[in-house]
Amino acid sequence: MGASSSRRRRDDYYPPPPHYTSYPPPPPPPPHHHHHHHHPPPPPPHHRAPPPPPPPAASSYYYHPHPPPPHAYHGPWHPAPAPPPPLQQPQPPALTGPPPEYVEHQQAQKVKNYVNLHKDTIRLEPDGADPDRRLVAFTFDAVTDGRVTIYYFAKEGKDCSFSSVYPELQTLTKIPFQKGLAQRFIQPSGSGVDLGFFSLDELSNPSGEVYPLVVYAEAYPSPEEGGSSVNSTRAQITLAVLEKHNNDLRVKVIKQILWIDGVRYELQEIFGLVNSTEADVADADADDMGKECVICLTEPRDTAVMPCRHLCLCSECAKTLRFQSNKCPICRQPVEKLMEIKVRSPEP
Amino acid sequence: MANSNLPRRIIKETQRLLSEPAPGISASPSEENMRYFNVMILGPSQSPYEGGVFKLELFLPEEYPMAPPKVRFLTKIYHPNIDKLGRICLDILKDKWSPALQIRTVLLSIQALLSAPNPDDPLADNVAKHWKANETEAVETAKEWTRVYASGA
Repeated sequence: MGASSSRRRRDDYYPPPPHYTSYPPPPPPPPHHHHHHHHPPPPPPHHRAPPPPPPPAASSYYYHPHPPPPHAYHGPWHPAPAPPPPLQQPQPPALTGPPPEYVEHQQAQKVKNYVNLHKDTIRLEPDGADPDRRLVAFTFDAVTDGRVTIYYFAKEGKDCSFSSVYPELQTLTKIPFQKGLAQRFIQPSGSGVDLGFFSLDELSNPSGEVYPLVVYAEAYPSPEEGGSSVNSTRAQITLAVLEKHNNDLRVKVIKQILWIDGVRYELQEIFGLVNSTEADVADADADDMGKECVICLTEPRDTAVMPCRHLCLCSECAKTLRFQSNKCPICRQPVEKLMEIKVRSPEP
Repeated sequence: MANSNLPRRIIKETQRLLSEPAPGISASPSEENMRYFNVMILGPSQSPYEGGVFKLELFLPEEYPMAPPKVRFLTKIYHPNIDKLGRICLDILKDKWSPALQIRTVLLSIQALLSAPNPDDPLADNVAKHWKANETEAVETAKEWTRVYASGA
């Protein structure tokens, strides 16, 4: 490698390359030059952090079609090494009508999530007192006190209410919890259900919108904690199936819903959110390809491509991209919408 | 075109290519034009190109990274997807380009192409025919060309 770096970085004018006026150089009649597709490299767009599948995420930032609710999220309430937060799209409103010709460039808004069940931590544990019965256990964060209700074979009804299709299976109890981060929850002994009664098929398929396991975690912020609208429900609902794994049952979360002040959101992960709460873009030079915009390699990523949810662009490059391509740089899916997500650094 | 207008992306890519080169690949910019790179790729082991040092040129057009880099072999190579002008048949250099790809990933793809010639999707028809008719012999030719043209001397 010949050039010295001082020389290379100089900002003075260089004449055009001696022999690089046209490319490829002496162009004879091109042999049929159609597009070929080679298998060897579906090269990882950035090989250090292949985009999907992403790390599972905790929650906290949500896109909201309406004015933000009174208590927008401001500070960190994750335990320190918090996993990257997902975003979620509004289920019902906002996106009505035919998709526009142009690509929308929207700003994300934040909605505070009061309770967050870490979806990768949910397990079934045998009840010491009655090993046939299984107890639901998981780790969660709560910024206020609240309570958990566990439903088996439950269906969603109006306003995100849930009810079991086998009401005789259990007596519903609301298990209270106190606020706190990274808490462990385990269903009280004796309140579990003997799932041996059900076929594997029944347990592992959400048939007709019936989910074998639903965890309804609701917050009840006191006036000091949360504010005026104590009557409105703020809940995170985790819908799961149970799969056989090594002779045991494993919980697989299918989706998480947020029900806040009368709006239903479905939680979705954003791919490429690498702990953006750290002021680490300055570090990006180090060798970390994970945090900068994939186009300029300079600015922090703050714009996600929808619907594929690849957070890979800065807002400036997103604007440029809009005019030049309709494909996600990461997965090449068509871009329907760009969503700018300002992830603020935590305020102490 | 003045190098002073070089986008930061290109500067960063260049720095990273120089400070952390991919194994078997080197790329350094020309002093006259920082968008023009002199590239060397070592023939991958277990391929007919093993032991060869292949020179390429790579040029970043004005539209880069919205448009792919232009890459060409300068060293003669016997490969069904590389023609006698050194042009490379690789989807990511054409319709499958994405601005998330980089010089590094492009060169890694080309290196991979050397390990996996694909005569069903040829650019060099004669070579591809040869490859399909008698692969052993075609591989021998590729090895021979590697010795003759890519010995790195």
